[in-house]
Amino acid sequence: MAIRENKTLIVLFYIGISLFALVCLVPFALAVAGSLSTESKLAAEGYSFLPRGFTFDTYRFMFGSKAEQIVHGYLISVVATALGTACSVLVTTAYAYVITAKGFRFRNHFAFLAYFTMLFSGGTLPWYILCTKYYHLDDTLAGLFLPYLLNVFLMYLQANYFKSIPHEIVESAQMDGAGHMLVFFRIMLPLGQVGLVTISLFYALQFWNDFYLPLMLVSDEKLFTIQYMMYYMMSNIQYLASGNSAQISGVTVAPPLETAKMAMTCLTVLPIAILYPFLQRYFVRGIIVGSVKG
Amino acid sequence: MNKTRAGISLALAAMTLLSACGNGGGNNDGGEAKGSGPASSPAASGAAGENAGGKLKPEKLKIVLYGDESNRMKELAKTEFNDIVKKEINAEIEFQFLPWTEYGGGKTDLMLSTGEDFATYTDTNYMVKSVAKGLYADLTPYMDGPAAADMKKTVDDNSFKAFQLNGKQYAVPVGNKPNSGEFYSALVRQDLLEEAGMQSVSSLAELEQFYDKVHAAHPELIGFAGTDARRMLMYEYTDKNLYWQNDFLAVDESAKDDKIISWFETPEFKAYAQIMRDWYKKDIIPKYAATNTPQLTSDWNSGKAMFWSGTAARPFEGAAAISQAVPTAKLENDFLSRDLPKISRGTYSTAWFVSANSPDPERYVLFFNLLQKNQELYDLFAYGIKDKDYTLDENGRLARLTTDSLVPDWLLMNKNFMRFDKTVSEDFIQKYKAWDDDAIISKTAGFNFDNAPVKNEETKINGVFSEFLVPIASGFVDYDAYFPKALDKLKAAGFDKYMAEYQKQFSAWYAAKNG
Repeated sequence: MAIRENKTLIVLFYIGISLFALVCLVPFALAVAGSLSTESKLAAEGYSFLPRGFTFDTYRFMFGSKAEQIVHGYLISVVATALGTACSVLVTTAYAYVITAKGFRFRNHFAFLAYFTMLFSGGTLPWYILCTKYYHLDDTLAGLFLPYLLNVFLMYLQANYFKSIPHEIVESAQMDGAGHMLVFFRIMLPLGQVGLVTISLFYALQFWNDFYLPLMLVSDEKLFTIQYMMYYMMSNIQYLASGNSAQISGVTVAPPLETAKMAMTCLTVLPIAILYPFLQRYFVRGIIVGSVKG
Repeated sequence: MNKTRAGISLALAAMTLLSACGNGGGNNDGGEAKGSGPASSPAASGAAGENAGGKLKPEKLKIVLYGDESNRMKELAKTEFNDIVKKEINAEIEFQFLPWTEYGGGKTDLMLSTGEDFATYTDTNYMVKSVAKGLYADLTPYMDGPAAADMKKTVDDNSFKAFQLNGKQYAVPVGNKPNSGEFYSALVRQDLLEEAGMQSVSSLAELEQFYDKVHAAHPELIGFAGTDARRMLMYEYTDKNLYWQNDFLAVDESAKDDKIISWFETPEFKAYAQIMRDWYKKDIIPKYAATNTPQLTSDWNSGKAMFWSGTAARPFEGAAAISQAVPTAKLENDFLSRDLPKISRGTYSTAWFVSANSPDPERYVLFFNLLQKNQELYDLFAYGIKDKDYTLDENGRLARLTTDSLVPDWLLMNKNFMRFDKTVSEDFIQKYKAWDDDAIISKTAGFNFDNAPVKNEETKINGVFSEFLVPIASGFVDYDAYFPKALDKLKAAGFDKYMAEYQKQFSAWYAAKNG
């Protein structure tokens, strides 16, 4: 009896989740269909789930006129994501190790310092001055990931994994003469692997999706990421359509083609959409492990 | 003691890490883009030695523009543009493009606040705000000298006055084009009009008749491709010649006084709101306009709308986009009445400012001057290299060989220099050039409101405007049912104080001007 009830419930859950998933998929399906439609049909008849007048023209056009930029944008995105993820995981786990290391007197102070930035920040202007005038991150590759190296939330997440590793292991290693370096690299990192994968994924997603750093720090087109190219295009369209441009008289720039917008969206989302199904189990497992302290 | 030491070592460690990485990246990529300030390249002086610019010491200028940078612009910026600027004023020029959202705020503000050396364009609102913070360089000393001599001839004098505050020139106008009656005409699809058996529209009744006829034949088209028709319809609901200062305030240009009119509280607004309500009910304004205004612009550009509010240049500016979708499309400006003079705010497109920290604002002024100096330079910056980017036929008509835009042509547009392509009729060009002939300069031209004393009120009433007043003004909701509440909200937000401050400043300025 009890089993049957569960089954109905599970069926209901599945239906609910499927419906929800469908709702989430709708905009994406529209974008894909839009990118495969012909411009004139799209303008005349609007969006639909099946491409209107199926054609690859938009992609042909995009790769014809902008191929170099798009490929380059991808390259920069990949490099920034890879470098950013590697560096930030290193910094984050090291910090997490420090604030969980038993016997380190100031660990609470360090924990507080990090926590403090979660509550208060200096604001955009000081941040911008710091990045451009002191660290000279403007128009550098480092500027695309360096300011995001330590995400305090993920640092605490990782600290929780580290806390779940029995202290006795660390102690026995130390008795054998292992220093902090050895403990960190040989014990903590391998044992905190699940957490490591989780925060890496979070970081990778963050770096991949980021357009704020290039917006603020980059003016050299050679350093544009694919996301920033996308943002650039959309922001121009929105601004011109919003009517703010009326303040500057006479700006009547025809917005880029509707289908091109959609094609660009698909191109940006594609890598993540392909990777995500394979990686998402780490998200789930990682978060669950972190939340249950051993 | 230990705590302090720990803190210091932490800070040092962080700084070493960050600066090390920062410099490392800087050496690899784009290091040259950072160059600013008086630092100059020794290479420049030799090359420009014999030319006019040779007397000046070499300088670097950074011009920020908004929108997309085309490939051709990138090429030219490094080659011909740079060469000519170096030759003429001995400066190296760098163009930096930003997304439009950063205009008048965002990154532009950050760059100004951090004291970067650059110049870009502005409008009077942004100018007043920024000058109050001391972010713009005072360009007055260079205005009467040789630096600005050429553009003083090609740009209207009133345009210069529009960007003065307390007698000081904070921005240099660019562009000189017929601007009067902006949005006061109905820009109609002449091809549809003729299809409906009409020649022109000269009243609201005719405009609606136009809609009805075309709607019967083409039900898929929308009527009005906007949500704001107060200017276009003004001739219908009032005898005054209203000229709006912003969304709330207007003046009557036919009256010789300094009275500021609270637009929403006038009977005219009520009459206007009722016309718009009718339009909305009749679907002249489509239902989705309430939630998706940008769609209206797209509709217009893809030839799916019958009329829009017009400007002098829109018939040929807009034709390019529409004719892609509808090759037979023709655009024409019709006024719903002709017996009131058109009002002009000045003939400028926009104006350049220079950041306060610039070590050499004069060189920027020289560059702005260069942009509007003569036909040759204008052609270069707006259209590119002859026979490579464009050709001219025997009548001087322009055919562009590339679609890449250079220095945006809406910005430079100067009626002394601008060229038309051969699809624009001679008639139209004559009409266009004479567009401003019966126009008068607004009595408010040159007045810039300082919003500092009523900043809070302004923010609040703007909120009320978009939440409560736009729906009424665009006909989405009924005036009688919703206006009293909206007015209460407006008053509660401090509108009276705002209005009083505006009136006070304007009266003082008006008295000084006419006194």
